[in-house]
Amino acid sequence: MHEMELHDLSDDADYAASIQQGSESLNRGDSSKRSSCSEPEGAEIVYAKDNVTIHPTQYASERISGRLKLIKQGSSLFMGKVRNARLSEKVKNLYTIKAVSFSDIRSIRRHTPTLGWQYIIVVLSSGLAFPPLYFYNGGVREFLATIKQHVFLVRSAEDANVFLVNDFQDPLQRTLSSLELPRAVSVANSPSPTLSTESASGSDAEKGASDQSSVSFLQNGRQRQKHNDPARDISIQVLEKFSLVTRFARETTSQLFRESQIDGFSPNERKKHSQSSHENQHNLSSHEHQSLIMSNDSQKVPEDVSVTSDPPSDPLEFDRLSLVWGKPRQPPLRREEWATFLDSEGRVMDSKELRKRIFYGGVEHNLRAEVWTFLLGYHSYDSTFAEREYLISVRKSEYETIKKQWQSISAEQAKRFAKFRERKGLIEKDVVRTDRSLSFYDGDDNPNVYLLRDILLSYSFYNFDLGYCQGMSDLLSPILFVMRDESESFWCFVFLMERLGPNFNRDQSGMHSQLFALSKLVELLDNPLHNYFMQNDCLNYFFCFRWILIQFKREFEYEKTMRLWEVLWTHYLSEHLHLYVCVAILKRYRGKITGEQMDFDTLLKFINELSGQIDLDAILRDAEALCICAGENGAACIPPGTPPSLPLEDPMAYPQLDDDVL
Amino acid sequence: MSYAYLFKYIIIGDTGVGKSCLLLQFTDKRFQPVHDLTIGVEFGARMITIDNKPIKLQIWDTAGQESFRSITRSYYRGAAGALLVYDITRRETFNHLASWLEDARQHANANMSIMLIGNKCDLAHRRAVSTEEGEQFAREHGLIFMEASAKTAQNVEEAFIKTASTIYKKIQDGIFDVSNESYGIKVGYGGVPGPSAGRDGVASQGGACCS
Repeated sequence: MHEMELHDLSDDADYAASIQQGSESLNRGDSSKRSSCSEPEGAEIVYAKDNVTIHPTQYASERISGRLKLIKQGSSLFMGKVRNARLSEKVKNLYTIKAVSFSDIRSIRRHTPTLGWQYIIVVLSSGLAFPPLYFYNGGVREFLATIKQHVFLVRSAEDANVFLVNDFQDPLQRTLSSLELPRAVSVANSPSPTLSTESASGSDAEKGASDQSSVSFLQNGRQRQKHNDPARDISIQVLEKFSLVTRFARETTSQLFRESQIDGFSPNERKKHSQSSHENQHNLSSHEHQSLIMSNDSQKVPEDVSVTSDPPSDPLEFDRLSLVWGKPRQPPLRREEWATFLDSEGRVMDSKELRKRIFYGGVEHNLRAEVWTFLLGYHSYDSTFAEREYLISVRKSEYETIKKQWQSISAEQAKRFAKFRERKGLIEKDVVRTDRSLSFYDGDDNPNVYLLRDILLSYSFYNFDLGYCQGMSDLLSPILFVMRDESESFWCFVFLMERLGPNFNRDQSGMHSQLFALSKLVELLDNPLHNYFMQNDCLNYFFCFRWILIQFKREFEYEKTMRLWEVLWTHYLSEHLHLYVCVAILKRYRGKITGEQMDFDTLLKFINELSGQIDLDAILRDAEALCICAGENGAACIPPGTPPSLPLEDPMAYPQLDDDVL
Repeated sequence: MSYAYLFKYIIIGDTGVGKSCLLLQFTDKRFQPVHDLTIGVEFGARMITIDNKPIKLQIWDTAGQESFRSITRSYYRGAAGALLVYDITRRETFNHLASWLEDARQHANANMSIMLIGNKCDLAHRRAVSTEEGEQFAREHGLIFMEASAKTAQNVEEAFIKTASTIYKKIQDGIFDVSNESYGIKVGYGGVPGPSAGRDGVASQGGACCS
């Protein structure tokens, strides 16, 4: 946090300190601040723009306009958006964005579509994002210019339309304060002025005073916040954060929303209650947050608001859903675009750019057979068409040689070769239990099933020390499905196993090293969850065993698995992105895991049953963000040689031979 | 659904002996010859009735390959019953029983009830282990024994229920302290709890994780 001192952002330092110290010391820090600073100082409105509008749904009638203001108070800048007073008389349940300190804002993304209104998306350092704010009267440029005069604002190197606020902060610290619920709660509960809330009440006192409400509330906020129900704030934070993203988010929010009603009030009742109560102000903030989700109709349940399953009528609608974490996923790489990566002789000119492209979007299916050979390292990026063609023919004859080795074992010889019989028997038992529900592998005497067998048996001769282990057929199946060629599939599998072979070490050392690295990453990126696992004797992370062993093959449908794999294989941000994927999934479900006090058994069952339930794109974005934010500290969690890193120089790649090797 | 008790079972044995098929036959009353091989562990559950009490069986179906033993061992924790399965048509799966049993004895509760099952008894023409051998092994090691067929469903129901009866009797005899979940038993709603059960606290958790 010491970096803060370089910048005169006392609030920011307080905020950061508060995150570290928890809510109790937070109160202390806050009161000391109050006594030391001569506030309230005069608050100055440095920017105001009317007709800044939120589109809670696709219906024009439900759009909510108001005035967006930048308020400078002392050395801090706040952003607030107030309702349009005229509108508020018609719409009882107001939609207002709380005044938020810029120390809590991570970035602002500007969108300037050629058709339609300019809008911005404000992302908080907590990872939350506001819905797009449409500037009906223009003024985005002026808005950003004004901010730049008061806070540190830099254009993102990645995206010229993204402006990072206070970018000097340690990115890791940002992450730590972002995805984590308990900390978010402490912030929400804290009387810190950084999250002070603007009134959204329909009460008389507020009417007609909207221009000042933001500022006045800043001064009162700390008293009001103290009365909030923490449980409600949890759900509110999560509602805000996840409300509009994915189907999963929808389920979560609705569930949390239901939980938030345990206090006996339905949303509507609570509204009436808060309006009629003399203490209504104390209930307002939570009520208002609900309206963030529920637009101007408090009787709606959150599911109705989410539009993920409906085709958006507004072309900008999609952006509303993309609460920012990692970058939005792109469409898969298509053949025409692929051609642009190659020079006239077929060399990939910029392999890093290619890997980046695939990292963010994957590869169109009919292009996979070609592109996967590069990602897996079978072909080198700087090979030409001719070189590759030659290599393929060489590899083909090499494969035939390896295959002949076991094919030439006679029945008499096999009788005296138990290891071979066992290995063959095991493979034959397993290939008929691999993806048989796919048409590619279904039915009796399916030739593709025999190909699986032949390739696996050949591999077990190519790498006799490692041999065959269950899970390999899961890894080979999509490769054969994509490559459609025995020799090519074999070699792609060989190169995949160069990375993942240690997953199948007899002593499970490869798995244990990954599970260990995972536990370190969770400790770094989600300490409360780590502590929870520790207290519940779950630190062996065996519940993630299947995820890692076969690279989430059983967790996603086939197509999604292939998408995930090609993203992992790019090694674009990290060789160990799969571990960040694990963290991202655990983080997504941590509320449920800890809320239901799952023990090891329950957790294992729960994780198993997540199969088919995980939103791949959302998880990839989370994983990307976690990986970037963890940075060097994350990499330091992962010991050298942890799969899929190539093993350290070791003449005995698979030294753990014992009598059970098959 | 309410239950008086929940028993945790674990199914162990060599790969390909039919563990997953036994589970499916018991929970879904069907035989599915084509299914994905088990990686790690799979779960199944079914209600049965013993002594007029509804009992829920939560069954852990484990991967059989030798390499996964170190993982499988962590699943024994808190199991009240185990089905140790071999394939009567493959001698080696019978030969490996001792090592499975050793694992179970080492890593499971000492009072865990173990049922030995010789599966695929419909394939009598390919039999490689006689019924007597199975009986003898069971006798020597204090196991309950049955031959069964996941394909024809012969003895499948009986194997699971007989194991549960054994566990139930141990509860009645006071061998299991049902308030201690490390025995693999949870007390639920809807039945008479064990004499010493801290009923309410345990029940809600049992209901939540197994619904």
